[in-house]
Amino acid sequence: MANIAAQRIKREFKEVIKSEEVAKCAIKLELVNDSFTELKGEIAGPPDTPYEGGNFVLEIKVPETYPFNPPKVRFVTKIWHPNISSVTGAICLDILKDQWAAAMTLRTVLLSLQALLSAAEPDDPQDAVVAKQYKENLEMFESTARHWTNIYAGGPDLNKDFNDKIRKLVEMGVEEHQARVALSSYNWDLERATEQLFS
Amino acid sequence: MADYFQEMGWSPLAEGEAPNHLLHLVRLFIDYNMFEELGETQRLPPPASIEAVNNLPEVSINEEGKQCPVCLKDYEKGSSAVKMPCDHLFHPECIKRWLTKTNSCPLCRHELPTDDENYEAYRKEKIRAKQRVNDIENLHNCMFS
Repeated sequence: MANIAAQRIKREFKEVIKSEEVAKCAIKLELVNDSFTELKGEIAGPPDTPYEGGNFVLEIKVPETYPFNPPKVRFVTKIWHPNISSVTGAICLDILKDQWAAAMTLRTVLLSLQALLSAAEPDDPQDAVVAKQYKENLEMFESTARHWTNIYAGGPDLNKDFNDKIRKLVEMGVEEHQARVALSSYNWDLERATEQLFS
Repeated sequence: MADYFQEMGWSPLAEGEAPNHLLHLVRLFIDYNMFEELGETQRLPPPASIEAVNNLPEVSINEEGKQCPVCLKDYEKGSSAVKMPCDHLFHPECIKRWLTKTNSCPLCRHELPTDDENYEAYRKEKIRAKQRVNDIENLHNCMFS
């Protein structure tokens, strides 16, 4: 890895460790290997959002040309959000693409992702199914996102109705996550989800 | 009465001058939001013009404890830094490498001129369009408020 990238990540790492956001447990950063090319980030779901109480793990890959090119970031924790793929965890955020600037840091990236969880942009979606639900049925979107936070990110809100529906599909032989995706995509309409899974 | 060209912020063609078709095309693209559809705004703006970069002034750093926002290293006392028009300072090698990629300040996105004719036409027309909206609003306020 080019010297400048590794050196900068080292400095940034120190900066994040000392930052007040870490003290408040809002963000976390860990090294995955010794060469500073891969890191593990963690952000807390912001208050007053369906992600509240959850912890979301991120995979961060630092290119050799960093900081002249943005880091590659994706969600490892499964999440229901219009700008994040529910399948791959890929993120649609301008500063990770064309709006990157060399003075941005891993700390500002993590804080921007946290802001993205508070303010989705459904008109620039990464996941079309989620974005459609967000625009057409916000309440349904919020309970679905809260349910995913409960299951995958350790969030506090257990949704008995959703869990029962998933169990019914699992009893029919459907894999649990697949059942959750189908039900989430069809606004928790058991009949339509079943139809889609078995057609 | 204000002259038509003056009102529109345009200038009439000089004798024997042909219309700038590139400019017309750019105008058409902007009016129909085609740049957005072509993904033009999704792309990083082009590099800063070589001349603009070479003309950036260098200043010497006298205080300690200041760091370059690109590499995050402290400046050595007495070393030189490049000063952007927005007054932001960087190591010469750091900012020059960034400006070969795109034309704006890494801290505040202040734009330097580029050598890319299409981009310059696009930028100029965007500023003009904004100016026109302001002018119309002013006119409206003068008449109805």
